[in-house]
Amino acid sequence: MSKARPTVRRARLEPLLAAAGSLLDAESERGARARTRLVASTGLSPEGVDFALRRCLEANPSEAELLALLDATPEVPRANVLLSANVFVAAHRAIAIALAASESVFVRPSRREPALAELLWEAAPGSFQLRGELELEPGDHLWAYGSDQTLAEIARSTPPAVTLHAHGSGFGVAVLGSAELPSAELELSLLGLAEDIALFDQRGCLSPRVLLVAGDPGRALELARELAAVLEQLELRIPRGRLSPDEAAELTLYRDSANYAGELLNAGLGFVSVSPSEQVMLPPVGRNLHVLATENPLALVESLAPFVTSCAVEGDPALRAAIQHALPCARASRFGDMQRPPFDGPVDRRKWRSTRTP
Amino acid sequence: MNRVARSDELHARVQRFATGGSADTFSGLAQEIAQFQREFSAGFARLWARSGGAEGAVELIPGVPCDAFRMTRVALHPESEDQARFATSGTTGSARGIHALRRLDTYRALALRFGRAALLGSSARRRVVALAPRLDEPASSSLGHMMALFMVDFEQAATTDVRAPERWLLDEQGVNLAGLERAAAGASEAGEALIVLATSFALVGLLDALEGRRILAPAETVVMQTGGFKGKSREVDGEVLRRDVARAFGISEPRVVSEYGMTELTSQLYEATLPGSALNAERPAPPGVYVEPPWLRVVPVDPISLEPVAPGEIGIARIIDLGNIDSAIAIQTQDRVQRTGAGITLLGRAPGAPPRGCSLAVEEFLRARGS
Repeated sequence: MSKARPTVRRARLEPLLAAAGSLLDAESERGARARTRLVASTGLSPEGVDFALRRCLEANPSEAELLALLDATPEVPRANVLLSANVFVAAHRAIAIALAASESVFVRPSRREPALAELLWEAAPGSFQLRGELELEPGDHLWAYGSDQTLAEIARSTPPAVTLHAHGSGFGVAVLGSAELPSAELELSLLGLAEDIALFDQRGCLSPRVLLVAGDPGRALELARELAAVLEQLELRIPRGRLSPDEAAELTLYRDSANYAGELLNAGLGFVSVSPSEQVMLPPVGRNLHVLATENPLALVESLAPFVTSCAVEGDPALRAAIQHALPCARASRFGDMQRPPFDGPVDRRKWRSTRTP
Repeated sequence: MNRVARSDELHARVQRFATGGSADTFSGLAQEIAQFQREFSAGFARLWARSGGAEGAVELIPGVPCDAFRMTRVALHPESEDQARFATSGTTGSARGIHALRRLDTYRALALRFGRAALLGSSARRRVVALAPRLDEPASSSLGHMMALFMVDFEQAATTDVRAPERWLLDEQGVNLAGLERAAAGASEAGEALIVLATSFALVGLLDALEGRRILAPAETVVMQTGGFKGKSREVDGEVLRRDVARAFGISEPRVVSEYGMTELTSQLYEATLPGSALNAERPAPPGVYVEPPWLRVVPVDPISLEPVAPGEIGIARIIDLGNIDSAIAIQTQDRVQRTGAGITLLGRAPGAPPRGCSLAVEEFLRARGS
């Protein structure tokens, strides 16, 4: 196929970015409707939806980000997108990647959470097509997002003549280095981390679920207490939404396991657990964080590398650089920025495998 | 009394209770053990406090989740006092948990008492083999340890070499079919009953190896089947497996007896189907119904509130096991169960929150870390 000029590809993104922008204003008709629909479909609280839209919907990416997005995206005859649920703003980035790839874009929204894709389509008519089912043709490219299990099923059913770009599940890790931060800086960092946790009620692959604290268990416990208090306060401003029965049952088991094994701190409706050992426990979604002390955060993060989609480091620039080097595919950020990586391609940059093992 | 003395006293009372010759009640012993564990286990004390700490109702003793065994040591005693460390099989993936036992005599007494009641259908001499991997030293598998106990006790021979390779008929290559056929032929010639102790996936392997053929086994053969498939074989419906195993050995289906146990427990539950067995005579129950020993109680609880569900409703199993004196008197499983008139029906494991979207599911993480 002939290559489109960069300006042409760039122009294809404009209506989508404008559509995203039209959703940001809660007072506008479209913005209000988006909020109503998203609250109903996601289970997030109204404040949670509004916070996620304002914080994470990339309506104004920089030119550098857009150029990087175009650079990173292959040009293809037809781009198909299979969206997942939970992080509703992900639909916007996924469609942008497809538009960067092709002028023929077909999108199948998540059945459970179709709202954002439909709202963008309404606001940017003609930019892409919504489909109940994708009809793949030889030479097509398919960008698929979801759990590893879902992706494995998709990989099995995708015709060999179709190129699959699969982006699977993961989680975020936050690391606090050994340096003692000034109290104001620490306060801001913990608030940022709490916001990263609260966004989407932790259902995204960028959501932090583990905090590694360099140093001894006493320091980890002290920080866990501070963070639990911050999460509790944040919940007053941005209430947690509802959990599914399965999620609630997982939360109960996690609560009791963590309570038996170590310290368990109430953090609003969620919990912060503190491990007595370096045994990493993955808490369920719903604003829960597992904190553990380690003398060697780098080694521990490396052991989790296949699962880590994002990693935020505070308090030790050298450690941050070392972790970035060790986990080149993970999105690196500071606390508070874990849920808004540059708009330069898929948030998940790991090479997808049907089975990830450490 | 110090910890060891109190533990020893409780062991003695639980063993007496199991024989039926005791004035203790299940509830009374359970509450005493719970109190003992609150005093000597900081983890259990925390769990008790968070649960509201209701004394009196044995159903309200908080269960220690199986996951806790992977996260920390669940024992009141230090490692130096361990007589056995049984490792969990990895059903829930990730790091393997350990159930540390300070005394093995209580384990032995309870396992044998109910095992005999469920698996011995006559007074005939017996030969016992296991479709399980060879016993390691020291035994790290509670199932392997129990099977070895059964070999010695059920055969009642002057000497029994439980490490003899001809007793353990499963290895990396699969089921040792020739070994099983030799054991069956030997039992027939000697006029002995054959008892085959097997995991479900080993039985599937056996059926696959047989390719429809039958084993010439004594009419009094009993097959004890336990555990799930854990991805080690194709999955087979329980009723189909029972039928096919019975056909393979040429025995009636009630002679295939399912056992339910887990590393985190000291005691086991059994189906009460075996004709001639004490359990079948005293507490008969249809296939698929697991009968509790008098020293164990299953409480189906709501998976979110962990409150006991109404009689007959489905819940997840909290298992109160008086044998777990030095670890956790109540274990919270994720196994879905329903109480019927005679016992407990198992309905499979609660799956955990299914993976949705891109957040990594806890189960997925555990599975991957465990592989």
